[in-house]
Formats: sequence, C-alpha cells, structure tokens
Amino acid sequence: MSNPGTNHSINVLGSAPGEPLKKGNLLSGFGNMREATLILIIAAIFIAMSFASPYFLTWANMKAMMLSFATEGIVVVGMTVLIIVGGIDLSVGAVMCLAMVIAGKLFLMGINPWLASLISIGSCSFMGYLTGLTVTRIGLHTFIATLALMGISRGLSMIITQGTPLSLFTLPPEFKFIGQGSVYGVPFVIIVFFVVIIISDYLLRNASAFRKVFYTGSNEKAAEYSGINTNRVKLGAIILCSTLAGFAGIIYMSKFGAATPNFGVGLELNIIAAAVIGGASLKGGEGSVLGAILGIALLSIVSSSMILLNVSVYWQDLIKGLILLSAVSIDQILHNKRSSR
Amino acid sequence: MKKLLMGAALSVATIFGSVQSASAADNNPLPFTCKPGETFYMNVMVSGVEYWFPVYEMFKQAAQQMGCKTVYTGTPEYDVNKQLATFEQILAKKPAGILLHPMNPDPFIEPINRAAKMGIPVVTFAADSPNSDRVSFITSDNGREGAYAADTIAKDMGGKGDYAVLENPGQDNHDRRVKAFVKRMEDKWPDMKLVARAASNTDAIKAYNSVMSMAQANPNLGAVFMPEATSALGAAQASKELGGKIRVFNADVNAKILDMIKEGEVFGSVNPNQGMQGYMGFMLLYMASRRDLIDPMNDYARSGFNPMSVPFVDNGFSIVSQLNADDFYWDKYLQRRGTKGIDE
Repeated sequence: MSNPGTNHSINVLGSAPGEPLKKGNLLSGFGNMREATLILIIAAIFIAMSFASPYFLTWANMKAMMLSFATEGIVVVGMTVLIIVGGIDLSVGAVMCLAMVIAGKLFLMGINPWLASLISIGSCSFMGYLTGLTVTRIGLHTFIATLALMGISRGLSMIITQGTPLSLFTLPPEFKFIGQGSVYGVPFVIIVFFVVIIISDYLLRNASAFRKVFYTGSNEKAAEYSGINTNRVKLGAIILCSTLAGFAGIIYMSKFGAATPNFGVGLELNIIAAAVIGGASLKGGEGSVLGAILGIALLSIVSSSMILLNVSVYWQDLIKGLILLSAVSIDQILHNKRSSR
Repeated sequence: MKKLLMGAALSVATIFGSVQSASAADNNPLPFTCKPGETFYMNVMVSGVEYWFPVYEMFKQAAQQMGCKTVYTGTPEYDVNKQLATFEQILAKKPAGILLHPMNPDPFIEPINRAAKMGIPVVTFAADSPNSDRVSFITSDNGREGAYAADTIAKDMGGKGDYAVLENPGQDNHDRRVKAFVKRMEDKWPDMKLVARAASNTDAIKAYNSVMSMAQANPNLGAVFMPEATSALGAAQASKELGGKIRVFNADVNAKILDMIKEGEVFGSVNPNQGMQGYMGFMLLYMASRRDLIDPMNDYARSGFNPMSVPFVDNGFSIVSQLNADDFYWDKYLQRRGTKGIDE
C-alpha cells in the first residue's frame, strides 16, 4: 500500500510511526516527547510523596498502585486506539461487566471456565462488531453507538444475573491465578498488563496496519484518497476496544470471584480521562499507548496519595480534580509551545 | 446463632390492636381486605438490585393475605429524574398507595405532596423524604447498625487496634451508618484508632485500590467497615491479598457476600430486615388509604390530616455471620417460598 502523505500529527514516543529514536539525540528526543511533561509531573509527585509519606516509595506500595491500574490499563489501550481513529467508546465499563456476567453464567452452567471466557470475550468482540457496523454502515457517531451498546450490555447483564451477583467461588485455582496469582512475587495481572502495552505500543509504532489508525484519525478524507479503507480501520478499532474491555472483565472475574451486574459503572470516564491526559486528542489522529498508560498511572498515583496522606474524603475529589486539571493544562501549554516552534 | 432482631414494630402492633376495635371500621364488613382490583405499588431506583426483592416479597405477601394487588416498579438507573418519571407514571394510574424508596429526599417533596392531595398515601422505606407529606417512614436504625458493627469488630480485636472506613458520601443511610460506627468506636472503644478513610462510592475496584493503599500507610490495619455490599467485594479481595488479617465488615448482603462470609473472607455484615420493611410498609399504606379506619383522640378531623400517622417505624436488622449466612440467600428463599419474586 502506498504511504499516505497526509499532514497528520503523530506522537508516539515523540516520533513519527516507524521512526526509531536516535541514541545521540535521546535527551532532545525526550524533551520533544509528548509524554515528557507527564513523566516529569509523575516524577514530581513521586518526589513530593516520598517526603510526605514513608510508605510511598516501598515495593508493596508500588505493587499496590500498579495493581490498581493494571487491568484498567488494558482497557485504556483499546480506548486510545479508538480515540486516535477519531472515535470514543462509552460502553467499556458495561461491556467489561457483560464479559464477567456471560463467562460467570456459563461457568455456573457447567462450562469449562477457559472456554466460557473465550466465548464471553468473543461475544464482546461480536457486540463491538455490530456496534462498528452501525458506525460504518449507517453512519452513527461512535458516541451514540457506544452509548446504545452501554445500555444493551448493562441490560443484558441485569437479565442474565436477575440483579443478583453471581458468586463464583468454585472457579478452579488455575483460573483464579490470572487475577490473583504471582510469578516470583510479581502479580500475574501486572505481567499481563505489560505484555499488552508492549505489544500494542510496538504495533502502533511499527505495524503498517496500525499506522492507518493515525492516518484515518488525522484526516479521514485524505486517508481514503490514499487507498485506506477507513471504515475497516474504524470497525477494527471499535472491535479492539470491546475485546480488550471483555478481556479486562475476565481478569476482574478471576480476581474477585464474582460477576456483579453493576460492575464498572462510570469506568468509561476514568478510561477516557486517562487516554486524554496521556495526550490522545478527542479530535483524532493523536495519542500513544505510553501516554495513556502514564495517564492512568497518574490518576492512580493521585488517588493512592490522597489515601496515604489521610486526606478527608470530602476533599479528595476536589484535590484530585485540581491536580489533574493542572497536569493536563501544563502538558497542553508545553505541547502548544512545541507545536508553534 | 448470633442474630439480633432489633426492636421495632411494637408500636405498630399496638396500633393494629386499636385499629381492630375502631368503631369507624364498622362500615366495612371485612376489615383489612381490598376492593377488587385495588392495587398498591412499590417504587425504587436501581430496580435490578437484589436488596429490594425481599422487601417486595413481603409487601406482596401482606397484600395477598388481604386480597390486594401489588406491582413492582422503578428505574433501573441511579438517576433521580428517571425515578421521578416512574413515580409520575404510577400516579397517573391512581393507585391505592405507594411504598417508595426516594433516591433523594427533596426532589420527591412536590410529587409526594401532590399524591397526598390526590388521596394516594405514600410510605417511604430505607430512605426518607422527611419534609414531604408522606404518612410514614420505615427503615432500620442506621445508628444502631453502625454501633453494633463497631462493637463486633472491637470485641474481636480485643478493644485495641487500627481500623479504617470506606464511604459513599452523599447517600444518607450510608453516611449515618459510617458516622454511627466511628462515633461508637470513639465513645466506647478509645483504644481503637481510626487511621484511614476513603470514598469507594459503592465501587468494588475503588474499594480494592483504597484498602491496598490504606494497608501500605497502616501496616497494623485490623479492620475496615463499609456501609454497603459492593465495596466489600473489593475490600475482601485486597484483604486476602494482604494476608487476610484485615477484618472486612459491611452492611447489606448478596449471594457473593454470603459466600465470602462463609469462607471467612468477609468478617460479617449487618442486614436490615427487608421482609419487615415490606410487610409493615404495606400495612401502613393500607391503613393510610382508609382514613375512617382509625379514630384517634386528636385534632385530625379539625385539621384535615390523615389520622393514620406513624412517623417512623424501625424494621430491625440482623447480624450475618458464618453461623447464619445460609438463611439469607435470595434464590434459596425464593425456592422455599415457591413464588416468582418481583415478577408477580
């Protein structure tokens, strides 16, 4: 396929897709990275918190913080890809819940939990596919299409569970290992999380199929004229988002040993916020997996810090909101300055 | 069995006794029966939540025993506007009475007052709209629930140690449970130290993350209390991963929480007596729908208010532990009763 010559804005580790970082320019490369500001902000919080609380810079706390965003981080990857392509997914929390509920119900009906999980993730992918068709064939915006999917998924979860959480105590230990096990002291969830982000970040930077995501998001018409099937790209991004949400649901099911119909309510806002904090543009064409992961990490670190500092629950949301607003504003100001150079 | 059924209902029973002998009831050949087709409604928010089902089960039973009809309604969403819309729909059907769980107190004042003017009594349960013209409010005593949870935990910890709370700020009954829990600790157990508070907002993931963080800052954390069930899923999982030393105590139960109690992952739970909420709720509605049933010695006739006036009824609560958890499973209860639950 010919390389589209669109004037898109791409920020994956500060470089255009496929362009490796030159070793001699690492420092200037870091300075130009969209994620550099976020890394510095997180570093600043780390330094401040290490003075404020002796418990902050401990392996146990690092592990706890990583555990707090590892599974959501998997969902953030899918959301970031979809935002880059110019879409948004409001259904991730509900789809995640539906994945738990379908797999849990099938397991309680006597089906092997691995097979039940595969069927469940496949169902989420299929629902993503159907939603994607309403976007590419009918022309609905992803906002409204996924809003509908959110309602459908929540409704199905309610119907399947009849409002009662499914208790899955009898899940076999090898299945519980996904959410609860550790390898050499490192929780398996964190390993899965790193595998997903490394693969997805690599693909997004190097695979031509994933580069089409940027081209489609930055200028859909130009991408079409360049021979890219933009509908297929959008459809793929929506399916990927639903699939990863389903996958995260299975991890949570394994972790909590339950499938509750109200699981993940409001999760989508956190996920979208993380992607945007990480540099994804809601206009499309811009974003990175690394940035999004830093975004969800920042949200988690701020939440954890509030608890470690024993901040009153009535103040926590306000302080979190102010810190996040400051972080995003600083990042945006610096990004604008870099862009105007 | 470590079960406590707290007081309540005695005052209502007394009222029932007096009702039987009320002279005004002579007009009705069969007191405590309904006219054909007379229908009472129960209205809630987040209608798919299991908590409401045992309430409706006894609401329905009381109605059936008196030849009345009932309907379970509400919005599946956590949205006061949506619940108000369903309430309006019920009013349009001119029901005999409404047992209502108002999501927020004040938005329901006008609709409840309008219902009262239409001659449709409203009884609130589990959450109240105190400034409205509802005829009665039935609930468990959130203060006693919190206090009893505090005593249970403190006794198990030998009266000394660190504890934390997860909260859902803004929901009245949850706030009252947490306040009562903390106050009881301060008043009766001075060596119990509150070391952390976090808002999990009925979210299992937030609860998990919060307890994980709390435990880092407070290595001797011995217990966490939360005023609802969903957070307990996350808190218990965190406690398990941290070695299982943190006692997780919550309010309300569901099948998963019961399993966790049986497995020892959740230390215990306080559970409102939902059945009494429903049964007494219906009885209060029935009496309020028949103004001539009661003839109390007061100024009701001169002032024009409903003579059936019981401002508050305590439906009591149970402490659920490993010893009695089996008795609180909704599916087993439904199977035993052989009914269709909320679908009839």
